[in-house]
Amino acid sequence: MQEEYKKGILDRLADFLVIALGSFINIFKRDWKKKNKSKMEEWRLMLYALNRSPPGLIGVFLVLVFIFFGVFGPRLAPWPYNYFPFFDNGTAYLAPPGTQVYLPSHETIMSLHLGADHYGRDLLSLLLAGARTSFVISIVVIVLGVPLGILLGLIAGYYGGKTDELVMRITDMFLAFPALILAIALSAVLPNRLQAFISSHAHLQSFVLWLFGLHMREAGNLGRLLSVILAMIIVWWPAYARITRGSTLTEKENLYVEAARAIGLSSWTIMFKHILPNIIGPILVYITLDFGSVILMEAGLSFLGLGATPPIADWGRIVYDGTQFFPKAWWLIIYPGLVVMLVALGWNLLGDTLRDILDPKTRRSIEFKVKKTKKMEEKEGEENA
Amino acid sequence: MIKLAELKKFLIRRILTFLPTLIGVTLIVFIIAYVIPADPARAWAGGEKASQEAIARIKAQYHLDKPWYDQYWFLVSGLAKNTLIDPRTSNPVMDDVGKRFPKTFELALVAFFFVILIGVPLGILSALKRNTWVDTIIRFFALIGVSTPVFWLGYILIFVFFVKFRLINLAGFPAYPSHQITHIPMIDALLTGEFTIFKQHIGRLWLPGFVLGFQGAGVIARFVRNSFLEALSSDYIEFLKAKGVPKLKVYRHALKNALVPIITVLGLQFGGLLAGAPITETVFGIPGMGRYAIQAIQNLDFPAVVAVTFIFALVYVTANLVVDILYAVIDPRVRY
Repeated sequence: MQEEYKKGILDRLADFLVIALGSFINIFKRDWKKKNKSKMEEWRLMLYALNRSPPGLIGVFLVLVFIFFGVFGPRLAPWPYNYFPFFDNGTAYLAPPGTQVYLPSHETIMSLHLGADHYGRDLLSLLLAGARTSFVISIVVIVLGVPLGILLGLIAGYYGGKTDELVMRITDMFLAFPALILAIALSAVLPNRLQAFISSHAHLQSFVLWLFGLHMREAGNLGRLLSVILAMIIVWWPAYARITRGSTLTEKENLYVEAARAIGLSSWTIMFKHILPNIIGPILVYITLDFGSVILMEAGLSFLGLGATPPIADWGRIVYDGTQFFPKAWWLIIYPGLVVMLVALGWNLLGDTLRDILDPKTRRSIEFKVKKTKKMEEKEGEENA
Repeated sequence: MIKLAELKKFLIRRILTFLPTLIGVTLIVFIIAYVIPADPARAWAGGEKASQEAIARIKAQYHLDKPWYDQYWFLVSGLAKNTLIDPRTSNPVMDDVGKRFPKTFELALVAFFFVILIGVPLGILSALKRNTWVDTIIRFFALIGVSTPVFWLGYILIFVFFVKFRLINLAGFPAYPSHQITHIPMIDALLTGEFTIFKQHIGRLWLPGFVLGFQGAGVIARFVRNSFLEALSSDYIEFLKAKGVPKLKVYRHALKNALVPIITVLGLQFGGLLAGAPITETVFGIPGMGRYAIQAIQNLDFPAVVAVTFIFALVYVTANLVVDILYAVIDPRVRY
């Protein structure tokens, strides 16, 4: 058991990360580091606990790889998503993995490590470019959908009475639909309006194109891509409203809320500065898990032919187009599906570990271990001195 | 007797909250069909390629030129009285949906069977072998289940069982039994004793059912593990152990108490399985409700989209209602 007390390289990295983050916040808020020593200590203990869980580390690794390719994927792709080698050289059509194709117009040889689709496009490049699509969609859905749900849940739970009744009845209306069905119906009817909207806002349009790493020519397809995003936001917020309301209801009975009210703090301050930080733990776990769910659902929707249209690179869409050539072009189904699974698995592993770390019941043992470490170190220091 | 009165009160209250939810469902369906499309008449008539006269005809037929409350009433009464006509097939749209519903229901039933068959034993095993390699493997399996895209698993298994070994059939749908009692062909075949038809249905649906149930099995395994562990750590179990009751009997007591939340989650899973049908049915070519919904969307067949969405929500809400009532019947503590 001696090993548990040793600080590994990952623990040192955790120390560094926490100090760096603290110093960063200190730039904006004076004396933040001094005032929040215990908070930083807690973050450090959480990272230590993460370091002691192999599944969690695998999750972190997969998620970091996904984020890396989400940001740099389109740049790292050897070939652009909108170049169709098929028109240069017909043998590129559904070329199996490992084929080399000569492209007369470029006077180069294209090596298709993972095979090609029916436009002759390199599957590896498509997967790399598709990482950006998945990444942006999951971030946008979570960043817009979750805070909306949390806000409504806080309001409903804190004010109670008629406000609660109204908000929760609306939430129930949305929760009455199976998520996938509502998302399918919405992403089927939304594109026209969204296309009209995005076409009339040139700046927004170029921003969205830049975000997804798309060429100007794809502007006409943005409506469909955005419809999936909006549909998933509409599907996603109600669950968070319900969770947040539930924990707010129990949390607001606590004495500290009453004390805050007694000294005359405004409802918004109490909700956001006092209640929210106390209930955010479980919500963070749900958010982590839901990154995986959003990516899975997006892949499912584009597999059904909704959302991204060719030539936009999208993992689910590659499979949808590849099914016409099944089982001959197996690589068009196996590889994109495998990538989706690994990414979802990464988020799920991370979320699962976070759940253990944030749960006070299971965390105690971990904290105990690490605290012992420090005492041991002090002892060692004394001995050395 | 007081307890029964409480149950009655709970039932009445629960059914009363069911009504606003139902109205909410129709409202959202109405928004999807009438409010969101920029030019509903054109959209209903088939989008860009629709001719002017078709648009005019559709407009009059579906009250698209009337004020919103008239449109809403037309939609709701059309869904309730089955007077909403599908412009593509000229059938009342609920007839088309009704024809496909049993297939999807059957698929969900088979999937549900797999969820229970795989999920519950794995969960119990995982709890009994807590913190051993068995537990780790089962937890990992549960995570794999939640993370696997349904279409991917479906195509891999099609490759194995259809392309390589020709063990399954992917075309059409087996015949229905001669007598319809419950209108679910598989159950009817069992009831009327037509076992060959039952076998055909199982043969067609076992693999899609497994694929659809795979995700749910992981979720259930995890849930069974946690609630069984929680039951095992309660005071009455400690008491039984102290009393010297044999191990197996102790487990039986714990399982009985853990079963209540498990049944709830299983019930909710069934609704979720129905909803997962579109992808599974598309992969395996089953002509059920999910496949119908996707085809309706591709053809811009609005009445069909509306009807399918409504039916899915209706089944889902009803499943939740049944689960709630069951829960209240089994566990008196929730009838407050």
